[in-house]
Amino acid sequence: MRLSRTRRALLIVANLAAIAFLVLPLLPVVLGALQSEKAIQSDLRSLLPRQPTLANFELILSGGALRGPIFDQVSYLPKSVERFPAAFMNSVAVAASVSLLTLLFGAFSAYTVARLRLAWTRALLSLSVASRLVPLIVLMVPLYVLFRRYGLLNSLTGVVVAEIGFLLPYAVLILVPYFAALPAELEDAARIDGCTRFGAFLRIVLPLATPGLAACATIMFILSWHELLIPLIVVSRPEAMTIPVVLAGLVSDYFVFFTLMMAICLLGLLPTLLLVLLLQKYVVRGLVAGALKG
Amino acid sequence: MRRRLARVRGREPTAGALAVVLNLPSGLCLLLILAWPVLYAGWLSLHDVSLRNLRTGELPFAGLANYARLFGDEIFWLTLRNTCVFVGISVALEVVLALAVALVIDDDRVGLSRVTRVLLLVPWGVPPVVNGLLWAFIFNTQFGYLNRALLALGAIAEPINWLGHPTRAMGAVITAYVWRTTPFNILLYHAGLRGIPRDYYEAAEVDGASAWQRFCHVTLPLLRPIIAVSLILRTTFGFMVFDEIFAITQGGPGNATWVAAWYTYRAAFQPPFNVGLGAASAWVMALVLAVAGIAYARLIGRHVT
Repeated sequence: MRLSRTRRALLIVANLAAIAFLVLPLLPVVLGALQSEKAIQSDLRSLLPRQPTLANFELILSGGALRGPIFDQVSYLPKSVERFPAAFMNSVAVAASVSLLTLLFGAFSAYTVARLRLAWTRALLSLSVASRLVPLIVLMVPLYVLFRRYGLLNSLTGVVVAEIGFLLPYAVLILVPYFAALPAELEDAARIDGCTRFGAFLRIVLPLATPGLAACATIMFILSWHELLIPLIVVSRPEAMTIPVVLAGLVSDYFVFFTLMMAICLLGLLPTLLLVLLLQKYVVRGLVAGALKG
Repeated sequence: MRRRLARVRGREPTAGALAVVLNLPSGLCLLLILAWPVLYAGWLSLHDVSLRNLRTGELPFAGLANYARLFGDEIFWLTLRNTCVFVGISVALEVVLALAVALVIDDDRVGLSRVTRVLLLVPWGVPPVVNGLLWAFIFNTQFGYLNRALLALGAIAEPINWLGHPTRAMGAVITAYVWRTTPFNILLYHAGLRGIPRDYYEAAEVDGASAWQRFCHVTLPLLRPIIAVSLILRTTFGFMVFDEIFAITQGGPGNATWVAAWYTYRAAFQPPFNVGLGAASAWVMALVLAVAGIAYARLIGRHVT
């Protein structure tokens, strides 16, 4: 197919528009985060910061200790500022645990679905698809009552448990196509050489499915990092808050400190944005596999 | 050698036994954290579950009182209407925008289409609550970047109050949500387009089909299964929207942006903490979604076998 000159020009314009659509809304976050609240309030028409400053980031990363000159006149700072460093570590701990456990349990189940192919394991696939569509809020009402009874409220364990229940079916859906795509001969060869079924799973299937495992682990980490509703309902103690909960605390504050809020937002979105960009190949394949081939 | 193999095999569990053992962890998780809670929500919806009753541990049977209260609540019906508006418009936008972008980046010869493909997942990588806060900033009347840009361009003389007006506020949350979720659809359609053999287009072109005809008679029919999957996924996820509502409007102004998940959240987790009512509204929502879920499972089932 050949492209005429006008069509090519139109396509380039459309493509530039697509790029603008994808990244332009992030610009205000960066521009806001680099200003003082005073500066953003003084000129309501300017788009670029007149006096860029990193003071917002210094304040947040030091947990409120390092107050630059732009905070001289400020008597009240949002609670989110001092809670940020601890919440960051909580988020890392939760996302890492959720990602690891869903990967482990998900791989076990996905293997039985894709390679053992018994009638009932294959039915697990439909079950996973159905569970994936259970609305989270439907789950959270009873989980709140149950967690209250069993003392899991206000603990990171409670957050991890709830997130595993919610994300595990998706992990299975992502992994099944990767396992299903491996040639059966390799496993058969290992079995002839005296490997048990489980041994073949550990030594042959898992190593060959590394791209799928990477995709699954990354996607689980990102979704766990993003999760607001679960920790919002499970946790009310500041020590156990994750990043999204701390950010949610800004909602009642935000008419006061937009610049600080954007700086916290930027720090909160950076980890998963970097993961998405660095591990894009895996994430893209995993998402497509989990939606279409599961 | 053969004897050794036999010994290993002898100890080895059958495929069925292995499958049971390997499915134990996920099975327990799904039973305890997914299946039981969902059924328990149904039980809760038939009982009087207030914060005080939770403290004493006695939950008296209430029959269908929670459902009667739910269906008698004007705000519940408004919420249902808002949810349909939100889902209808956002799903339509997600499909059309994603299709357009996927078609543009499908052609490697378009300048910078590789850049677009790299940046594709940027909005998907943004945490939903951050997405909400960032659009709350953009739409803010005094300091927001939308009014800033419009004022700087001279398009408006006075700042517009985006979030204080019912229709505009709904538009704002839909914009924010669609921005974050469209990339997922682009990804699916992009994968779908890659699966269409180039010869089909060339054959159509030889037969004299215009670009529009090629789109209608080659691209669309072959993408149909993928579009169907994306429609069901986006519809059900649209029903669950929470973070953007929480961060941008908190359901306001008035009740203009109350949607299904927000209604349940407010009923169960905000004063006066009527968990029973929350459970009832959650079950109504689950029922609506179950219909979509069954259709989705059938569709996917056909793909995998």
